[in-house]
Amino acid sequence: MKTTRCYLANDTSSRAAGAERLADAWSERPEIQLIRTSSRGAFFLEPMVERDTPNGREAWFNVSPNDLPRIVGGVGGTPVAEIPFLQQQTRFTFGNFGITEPLALDEYQTRGGFKGWEAVQNLSPEAIVEELRISRLRGRGGAAFPVWKKWQVAQQTESEQKYVVANADEGDAGTYCDRMIMEGDPFRLIEGMMICARAVGATRGYIYCRYEYPAAAQAMRFAIQKAREADLLDCDDYPFDLEVVVGAGSYVCGEETALLESLEGRRGVVLAKPPYPAESGLYGKPTIVSNVLTFATIPNILAHGGAWHASLGTEGSRGTMVLQLGGRVKQPGLVEIPFGLTLHDVLDRFGGGMAPGSRFKAVQVGGPLGSLFPESQLDIPVCYDAFAEAGAILGHGGIVVYDHETNMVELVV
Amino acid sequence: MTTWHKPRLAETLETCRPVPPDKPNILKALLAVQSALGHVPPSAIPQIAQVLGVTDAQVAGVLSYYSDLRTQPTGRHLIRVCMGESCTANHGVLVLRAIQDHVRVAVGDRTQVERFTVEQMSCAGNCAVSPTVMIDEDLCGRVTPSIIPSLLEPYR
Ligand SMILES: Cc1cc2nc3c(=O)[nH]c(=O)nc-3n(C[C@H](O)[C@H](O)[C@H](O)COP(=O)(O)O)c2cc1C
Ligand code: SF4
Ligand code: FES
Repeated sequence: MKTTRCYLANDTSSRAAGAERLADAWSERPEIQLIRTSSRGAFFLEPMVERDTPNGREAWFNVSPNDLPRIVGGVGGTPVAEIPFLQQQTRFTFGNFGITEPLALDEYQTRGGFKGWEAVQNLSPEAIVEELRISRLRGRGGAAFPVWKKWQVAQQTESEQKYVVANADEGDAGTYCDRMIMEGDPFRLIEGMMICARAVGATRGYIYCRYEYPAAAQAMRFAIQKAREADLLDCDDYPFDLEVVVGAGSYVCGEETALLESLEGRRGVVLAKPPYPAESGLYGKPTIVSNVLTFATIPNILAHGGAWHASLGTEGSRGTMVLQLGGRVKQPGLVEIPFGLTLHDVLDRFGGGMAPGSRFKAVQVGGPLGSLFPESQLDIPVCYDAFAEAGAILGHGGIVVYDHETNMVELVV
Repeated sequence: MTTWHKPRLAETLETCRPVPPDKPNILKALLAVQSALGHVPPSAIPQIAQVLGVTDAQVAGVLSYYSDLRTQPTGRHLIRVCMGESCTANHGVLVLRAIQDHVRVAVGDRTQVERFTVEQMSCAGNCAVSPTVMIDEDLCGRVTPSIIPSLLEPYR
């Protein structure tokens, strides 16, 4: 019997949506072979099964076990390139999602992985920081601080030991892009941290991952091991070691000074700044703390150049924004587009309106410390400046839509 | 603390003994103990402090600070119901109530049969297929009150 190769996502949310049930149900079926990839982030379509055709991949949506004959027979699939939710996106940081196997290092490399790392081999640390300055990348963890400034401080601070730390605490409710990166494209985070380490002169890195993300921590550990075995972590002149550390549930630990306290094993309490971690962080040494998404954005910047990144987005917000739609929206999922689209258009084009039976009440952007927007304020462009002007914060890009039934009091507690 | 805990605890703590120049890491040690025993019995604090070379008060301080560190044993299965924004918007509260009714316990208590412990959690990062219930390390999405009995059935 001919075996049909198909693709099925293997991340936490796709499994929670039923991907695991499919894999179990079909595990003994000789007519199908499942390749477990990352998810495209169109979660309203998960579990989604794809297969290759001469014209690219075709997909079947919300698949149940008895859809097998249709898929194997090639009946009723939709070309992935024609899914509007994905078609309208500009995927760079999430360019591999739905396509590659997360832990296949060779696939990551074939699709341009480690090109950023190769590019910095010929650059001085100062030149790397300069490239970041040109890119105008701002931190994606919430504060939107220019990345190059932080790197420059750490680079210029003399010390025999420096650290890089990925903030994978992802505490803002409604956000899940860090989890997706760690589970779905872990080498991208590793590459971003290696580039940072080279720029500032750090030799040790930590990924501080929240307790609620066991699959992400596991994927990162495997990926680090693979990179180490392939001699990618320790380049001849540049020893670098990376470790995953798991937190234990405290929203405040997402704040960088609290995170570093927690990394040292103490209570995660916020310390006064200055000194900033870039001057005196982990064990009192210069430390770059950046968000997972920030690090994952860096390989492409070095591979394609800072000017390429600066050419995307709006005046104050360059590059792409990664939004995560949730709540009572019809099409929840991950969206990567250049900054600047209005909140209304994001909800309309990608969210697809309200879930059946729901009437719009308000939308929350930026997690628990973020802001609520009623219908009348949806024409705000999604970028750091417009949000700051409105007294709001974009935070980590979480967008939760509430309907007429949402009890706002329950949300406050 | 049952007696069989004692050798396991000692064994686990050996792996946490700080090797200079590394400094003792209290949180790491507590997480290791929890992963070996299922919880951190307060009676183990002196032993932990001794191995790490820190004070009892320092260990107790860290233990009480983190909400994911537990000092009580849980049931055989830990059910955590997400109460984050997206899950709340998608009626996670009804799911929580249905689970409580089903296992007949108040949040944080144990069933008489020691099968389940039910807790609330903050956003599980599964918002796009919410509401979310986490049973041990398995995540379930798009949960409705009506599927609770069949959802919990395999967890004996
Ligand atoms: C209460 C609080 C919680 C925070 N939680 C997170 C978090 O979960 N993830 C994160 O990346 N940054 C979080 N931050 C921001 C960090 O302090 C820090 O600015 C960020 O990790 C820097 O990364 P970036 O430069 O890449 O944005 C939080 C800040 C505060 C005040
Ligand atoms: S802003 Fe809120 S969460 Fe952050 S440190 Fe202050 S009280 Fe804690
Ligand atoms: S709000 Fe429940 S998973 Fe995010």
